[in-house]
Amino acid sequence: MPAASMMRTGVLPRGRQGFAGLVALYALLVLICLATLALAGELSLGRQPWENLLKSLAEFARPSFIDAWFGAPQLEYRSDDGTLLRVEDRRQVEANFLAALGRATWVTFQIATLGSLLAAILALPLGILTARNLAAPRPVSRLAQLILDAARAIHTLVFGLVLVGIVGLGPTAGILAIALHSMGTYGKLFAESIETLDMGAIDAVRATGASGSQVFFSAVWPSVLPQFVSNHLYVWEFNIRDSTILGLIGAGGLGLLISEAASLFQWSRLATILLAVIVLVTIFNALSRRIRQALL
Amino acid sequence: MSEIAIRITGLQVRAGQRQLLEIAQLVVHHGERVAIVGPNGAGKSTLLRVLAGFMPARQGAMCVLGREFGPDVGATLGARGWRSLRAEVGQVMQGLHLVARLTARENVILGALARPGGMPLWRSWLRLYPAALVDEAERALRELGVASLADTRADHLSGGERQKVGIARLRLQAPRLILADEPTSALDPRATIEVCQALRATAAHATLLTVVHNPELLPLLADRVIGLAGGRVVFDVDVKDATPDRLTEFYAQARPLRSVDQGAAWPVKADDDFARRAGTAAARPHCTEITSLP
Repeated sequence: MPAASMMRTGVLPRGRQGFAGLVALYALLVLICLATLALAGELSLGRQPWENLLKSLAEFARPSFIDAWFGAPQLEYRSDDGTLLRVEDRRQVEANFLAALGRATWVTFQIATLGSLLAAILALPLGILTARNLAAPRPVSRLAQLILDAARAIHTLVFGLVLVGIVGLGPTAGILAIALHSMGTYGKLFAESIETLDMGAIDAVRATGASGSQVFFSAVWPSVLPQFVSNHLYVWEFNIRDSTILGLIGAGGLGLLISEAASLFQWSRLATILLAVIVLVTIFNALSRRIRQALL
Repeated sequence: MSEIAIRITGLQVRAGQRQLLEIAQLVVHHGERVAIVGPNGAGKSTLLRVLAGFMPARQGAMCVLGREFGPDVGATLGARGWRSLRAEVGQVMQGLHLVARLTARENVILGALARPGGMPLWRSWLRLYPAALVDEAERALRELGVASLADTRADHLSGGERQKVGIARLRLQAPRLILADEPTSALDPRATIEVCQALRATAAHATLLTVVHNPELLPLLADRVIGLAGGRVVFDVDVKDATPDRLTEFYAQARPLRSVDQGAAWPVKADDDFARRAGTAAARPHCTEITSLP
């Protein structure tokens, strides 16, 4: 039936009907989620959301290093009867904190860098095996696909929890956790880069009688390398953000400082930490964008 | 009798229910220059793909440069056999296929990958080629008049330049048989003539099989013209008999697509008429002497 007559009768064309049904189903799902939470009384913002928000924001607005620099230089601790217990040099304390922050930032960067590289190395053969146009033997490519899917399905933090139990606390667990999860991401990105290759050019090289490995190294590799590098920078950057929370579970880096500051409600210190994260990610982002543009 | 470059016997190629090719017998001798003409979907590109082993046949036997393959041949060529055959078969494709991120020079060097002895993989990988090979590639580019483009990346070349670089690659490959699939389809008239002349010069000591549409190019590229329609050889004539008028009539009469159960695309009567006027396929001796060939 032509579309015009359907419009007149008020019935949607078939494809649209399906989509409308999907939207209705989605709306229903959202409603069920909201309703069940509301019925269980879990949809609450706490007792004084506004006051808490304003208080936290006020502290966030004064990152600890600024406070220590411009605020009172010393804190005096006195007992109830007024005897001086201890005098704290705030700048000295803050300097110690900043040094620890610097070390933790460096560890976070190390975890992200080594984890990403390891992930890329692990994912490269798997990505090549799963690329449909390179036509690896079916069972092998299925197995590789399965490994990549599983790696992607499990969160870095979950890998971290398990690995801390295996290799102990510290950055090694973080590196391995990042590597295992990112392997899935890399594999998918690598396979997609290979699948968008100009197969005509590859066939033209095959047509000269070159062997499979010759075709790979002289035609496939130079074509996909820029995309691989671009993918690598993207995942690397992603992992710098991801590795900031790995410290929460004892896998090294900034996460430990974040969890400390958050547990003690030291929002001003948390603000300093987050500033460090933002600076790190922004600098990396700017560099990687430059590199990606140069590669085009 | 001269050496045979291509011999096709009882070839049938299908894609699903569509009959792409049905050729009872076809022989091309070494050194011949053959043009294949026909409407879109006539099976021209399919024929070239089958001959290079990039597409399987459903029935038939092929003998290309002394290698026998196809469903009617007992043994298969195997990966090694295919590679050694492809090394001797140069292909120029419709789509100007160069590796986009390599320079013109590097693309030309790819033609030498399959040479006996081969190139170590690390050399291809790092693109550190032997000096002799680089010189050879630059000589080939110079002969085609594109020496100044040696360092230009392939995706920055124009269509005509790309096809010339493709032919320079062919020179390094030095094939005994060249299969060219509409090598000039994307080019302007001037580049078309230049590319055809380059192809002709490169094929001086080889057999050349070209798919062409433009009748003006036939004398440049062929001394024999084969017309395909609906996957069948409709005529097989000397180039001087394939006049533009006849080709126009041929293109007008051929229906491109054919289903297996729909019968012939080429009206049988018209076939006879054309064959009588143009000299039938059967009238050409080398198409019937297959039984006596080695």
